[in-house]
Amino acid sequence: MHSELANFINSKVSGAGAVFEEREVGDHVIFVDPAHIFDVSKTLRDEKDFKVLQVITGTDYLDDKTIEVSYILATFDPQNSEDDLILKVKLDRENPELDSVVDVWKSADYQERECYDMLGVNFRNHPNLIRILCCYDWEGFPLRKDYEAAKEYKGMTIYPESKNNSADQEFKKLSKADPGIERPRW
Amino acid sequence: MATTISESNKLTFTGYFRNIYEAFYTCGKGMWITFKYVWAHKPVTIEYPEVKEVLPEKARMRLFNDAENCISCTQCALSCPVDCIYIASKPRPKGEEVPKTTNGSPIRQILTQYTIDTALCCYCGLCTTVCPTECLTHSHDYEYSQYSLSGMKVDYLNDDVRAWRERIVKE
Amino acid sequence: MSNTKTIEIGGTPSEKLKTDLLTINMGPQHPATHGVLRIEIKTDSEIVSEAIPHLGYLHRCMEKHCEKVDYRGVIPFTDRLDYLASMSMEWGYSMAVEKMLNIEVPKRAEYIRCIIAELQRIASHLIAFGTYAIDLGAFSPFLYAFEMREKVLRFFEELSGARLLYNYIWIGGVWNDIDDKQLKRIGKFCDEMEEEVKKYNELVSFNKIFVERTANVGVLSIEDAYQYGASGPVLRGSGVKWDLRANRPYSLYSELDFDVHVGEGERGVVGDCWNRYFVRMKEVVESVKIIRQLLDGIEDGPVMGKVPKVIKPPKGEIYIRTECPRGELGYHLISDGKKTPYRLKVKSPCFTHTSMLPLLGEGQLIADFVATIGSIDIVLGEVDR
Repeated sequence: MHSELANFINSKVSGAGAVFEEREVGDHVIFVDPAHIFDVSKTLRDEKDFKVLQVITGTDYLDDKTIEVSYILATFDPQNSEDDLILKVKLDRENPELDSVVDVWKSADYQERECYDMLGVNFRNHPNLIRILCCYDWEGFPLRKDYEAAKEYKGMTIYPESKNNSADQEFKKLSKADPGIERPRW
Repeated sequence: MATTISESNKLTFTGYFRNIYEAFYTCGKGMWITFKYVWAHKPVTIEYPEVKEVLPEKARMRLFNDAENCISCTQCALSCPVDCIYIASKPRPKGEEVPKTTNGSPIRQILTQYTIDTALCCYCGLCTTVCPTECLTHSHDYEYSQYSLSGMKVDYLNDDVRAWRERIVKE
Repeated sequence: MSNTKTIEIGGTPSEKLKTDLLTINMGPQHPATHGVLRIEIKTDSEIVSEAIPHLGYLHRCMEKHCEKVDYRGVIPFTDRLDYLASMSMEWGYSMAVEKMLNIEVPKRAEYIRCIIAELQRIASHLIAFGTYAIDLGAFSPFLYAFEMREKVLRFFEELSGARLLYNYIWIGGVWNDIDDKQLKRIGKFCDEMEEEVKKYNELVSFNKIFVERTANVGVLSIEDAYQYGASGPVLRGSGVKWDLRANRPYSLYSELDFDVHVGEGERGVVGDCWNRYFVRMKEVVESVKIIRQLLDGIEDGPVMGKVPKVIKPPKGEIYIRTECPRGELGYHLISDGKKTPYRLKVKSPCFTHTSMLPLLGEGQLIADFVATIGSIDIVLGEVDR
């Protein structure tokens, strides 16, 4: 069904470049051109009855230098037996930018904000693109693969020594200094 | 049956009194149900520090490692999702007699450290399921609050561990 | 500010009184928000003119944690998403990995999983019922609900060893087998539960004060429900007959006979708080019905399938949806053939439901807004992940 859907997208939206990718295990996906995501979503909602946007999520591929944004759509139609669709776009990792689909599905509002928060994907025309789960002035994008946990936030130390249970440190000391230390057995 | 908001909000003369009647009737019904609890219901709570609940057999409380049976296989530390088990061992000197655990597997390594950070532990039980000699188990001890974080880390090679083991582990 | 308006006091123009919107914070520690949800409310006297949820007070970045632990170690993390329905959370994840690995789950394990999930649904709905009554000022229903929930928790404790965060449903099956004594106790619990629900309905559902507080309040239309991605009792409360257990049956649900209840508007209009609430009460009865069928049909056999020692799903991705008590829970699992998941995205129903709060809150009284938040029944552990 999904291969037909790719053809359908190509016929309706010129330049969408929908490619059906069959996977050996799990779900099959359709890749589309990021520039046409708004038109593709609108077409899918209006003509293929994908009423509900389940989730927008991103995946960071460090080796390919891309970020894949997945749109998972559902029809909520009892007659339609196969209705999950994973729509994917590939974006450049350095400057990921994409059209917002808030005008198509309202649920995209929070989902896109989360995607921006976690992976730094900029959604154009989003009404209120601010962080949602991290605090509003957080730096860095946590779900990127090269993200390093921040040591400091506004002059405050994150995870200070006093709140650190020192078991791991002592363990390192113990094993390095004297690996053959004898402990009383009981 | 479905009515619109404007329809239901219209208040008629009889509707006014029906509302009052319904309010008294339904509230009285609810009061009667709660009133029945005064006699016709056994208390379900217990007075905790005086009366203690008998825990089920599989209850997962504080971890306990029987260090005499540990073969230092590090399976528990590997399977732990929060990395709260610190284990270290050294090889046994050659020629020394290799002791055996209670189920017969040889202890080839000498255990030099076995520490569990109870403050970090998430009580998922994954470490106990992978333990080949079943020396790491969940005890039934749940009263171990401490004044400092470092007190939450339990060194199972320590002597005083034995004391609380005898207190709680049923033989 | 565009909302600023002037009213005249005393008649002379010089004595004009300027009014403005008052911003108040509801939460993060507010008894009516079911967790650490902060809602910034701009009020015009008693009317909410704008409600802005601020999330993230419970954010643990669980998805990042999952990229560091092996596939079995993810299950304790999924427990902590929706801590009131941990079993349902585990089930979705286990199903996703099983589908990737093509593991067949033994029949008995499937039965146990279904029973457990339905019991969990009852326990979770009891919390929704009890806390909703507390939000609206009735205290004793909360205690009655907790008394029944305690029985479920006690049963789970005997089965898995934990009261809240079970780690019971594993990839390939379940941890421990259930014995006949426990099954009999579940049967007894079902009988009690049916009686209790009748009592709850008399006590709360049809109480005139409760109905006046909730009926016709916070109406969610079907179009809005689809637009905002609502699911579960919230969607069914708006009158959409959609339940994954019936429409996309997974596990044993295709063999079971049960109804999908939607809001019918016995009180108020379809899609309001009362109908959302009452769908949950009807679902409890339906869950009891399902459990009875499962108890009759349960088979003997192993409870754990053949699972490789090191779980390494092949390269690919999968999206699994399950019906958990609060709506549709989805796991988007991407594997790159290594020991740890490459990416695990949780589609949480509560997150999408939270996004409806600005829509539902606009133009309501503050007291009605409290009723609306309670009727959506969000758990902040799942919203913030």
